[in-house]
Amino acid sequence: MRAWVLLGLALAAAIVVAASAGHDWASPADLWRAIEGDRDLRSRLLFDWRLPRVLAAALVGALLGLGGAIYQGVFRNPLAEPYLLGSAGGAALGATVALLVPLALPQSVLLPVLAFAGAWGATVLVLGIARIAGAIDAAGLLLAGVAVAAILGALRSFTMLALSDETVSLQVVLSWVLGGVQTPSWGVLGWAALMSLGCLGLASLLATRLDVLGLGETMAASFGLDVRRFVALAVLAGSVVVAAAVAFGGLVAFVGLAAPHIARWLVGPLHRPLLPASALVGAVVVTLADAIARALLPPAEIPLGLVTAAAGGPFFILLLARRLRG
Amino acid sequence: MTAISADHLRVTRGAATLIDDLSLSFGERGSVALVGPNGAGKSTLLKVLAGLDLPQAGRVRIGTGDLASLPGAVRARMIGFLPQHFEPHWDLLVGDLVRLGAARNPELGVEAVAKTIARFELGGLERRRWSTLSGGECARVLLAMVLVADPPMLLADEPAAALDIRHRLGVIEALAERGRDRLSVVVVHDLDLAFRFFERVVILVQGRIVADAPAAELIADQRLDEAFGVRFERIRTAEGWSLQASKAKT
Repeated sequence: MRAWVLLGLALAAAIVVAASAGHDWASPADLWRAIEGDRDLRSRLLFDWRLPRVLAAALVGALLGLGGAIYQGVFRNPLAEPYLLGSAGGAALGATVALLVPLALPQSVLLPVLAFAGAWGATVLVLGIARIAGAIDAAGLLLAGVAVAAILGALRSFTMLALSDETVSLQVVLSWVLGGVQTPSWGVLGWAALMSLGCLGLASLLATRLDVLGLGETMAASFGLDVRRFVALAVLAGSVVVAAAVAFGGLVAFVGLAAPHIARWLVGPLHRPLLPASALVGAVVVTLADAIARALLPPAEIPLGLVTAAAGGPFFILLLARRLRG
Repeated sequence: MTAISADHLRVTRGAATLIDDLSLSFGERGSVALVGPNGAGKSTLLKVLAGLDLPQAGRVRIGTGDLASLPGAVRARMIGFLPQHFEPHWDLLVGDLVRLGAARNPELGVEAVAKTIARFELGGLERRRWSTLSGGECARVLLAMVLVADPPMLLADEPAAALDIRHRLGVIEALAERGRDRLSVVVVHDLDLAFRFFERVVILVQGRIVADAPAAELIADQRLDEAFGVRFERIRTAEGWSLQASKAKT
């Protein structure tokens, strides 16, 4: 219970700090006036631009944290992460195609669908390669993931160079590949919030079976779990979550890795509490990282992905070192 | 009444034949020790009987039905399986592990979990994490996880092999005792324990059954010596027989 209060307070604090931070720092009193419906230009800017952006960052973080927890659960591997396993890279390739290739469908439909197809395809590919190589352990999966991510990155760069004849669209894709939360309207934000809740609900349906899978394949099978089918299902669910995160926030590294770890320290490894806790931790982390991205070098914005990579990279190295030693 | 039966099972891995045209059946009650030299196919046979591996030929029947066509959840309630090695990927609490075992049967409530925890003397360990347990405690937790759902059939793959003698004795005795009103089939490496605690002994060599008889009869059988490639001296003790092996004369 204490962990949940702590997480809730941390998220509230992160949102207030992030809403204050920026090119033009606002006091909590300014924020309150803007929420109350003040018609002053500054208040309206805060309400229409900064608040939705902060909340969108929180949602992207929640999705990344959730996606990371699902991936670590499916692969029974605390080093698994959507970004490292090529799944985020697949989503990015799909989204790049949606943004740059002239296709018959509207972009608002194509982008999430292709992002999902990319995320899922990449994960299935990585899983298949690791299985054929007979190495579903940490190293095997990560190496297969690195290889697939590199190939997908090359394909994405090629698509970007070959298909964008105007610098504007290239700019859009690039800012998105580097990770960056778009500022949504309140309506879009509402939809995104509903979808994130849906993702959390979907993931919670998998919680107990993720626990059983964590007992090892033989034990899970003897407890009645159809391991192959469940892994396929959970990879599908994880890909939906990753695609949603990538569609809103681009490629944001290491949050999916770090959030489940921090959540496990707080609520333990059972997935029923871990999944929502990991989403909350992810929300806190990305909200703060996005605030840093906006406030560090005003008026310019640093890509969010650079901030999380700079902070998350060392975290990953630490985990890797601890794991290899122990 | 037959609980589990295997008809003409054959299991191959690549060019190797692990189980070779093997048939046997078990009743609803009884304690059975499965013994044999390394590589005889004991673990493979147990996994096929538990429905965790599919044979290349032949089939396993459970009651009158086909095991392969049984839904996983139903199978999990009927057959308990104790693996040789168990290492959960996440460092769960002992209480959570037992609860996951109980989740196989949705009708089981908190009382069943509490009873099992008391029965295996895990009361003080409930809030401990798996990684902090000793070998003997791990074995007790594993037993509790599998037996909390009280499956009518138990297939155990030498879960006590790595334990010290006191804990091994405790585990083997508990498994054999289960055979009084249920079916308990256990791969046992320690022949003294196999003949002392189990009613029936099945000897497996190179994927085939070379002997299958009540323990009291089989103890004197020469096939035992042949199966292990040694000469046994059978020593009468207060508890039963003790087997002393020496190299076979060629």
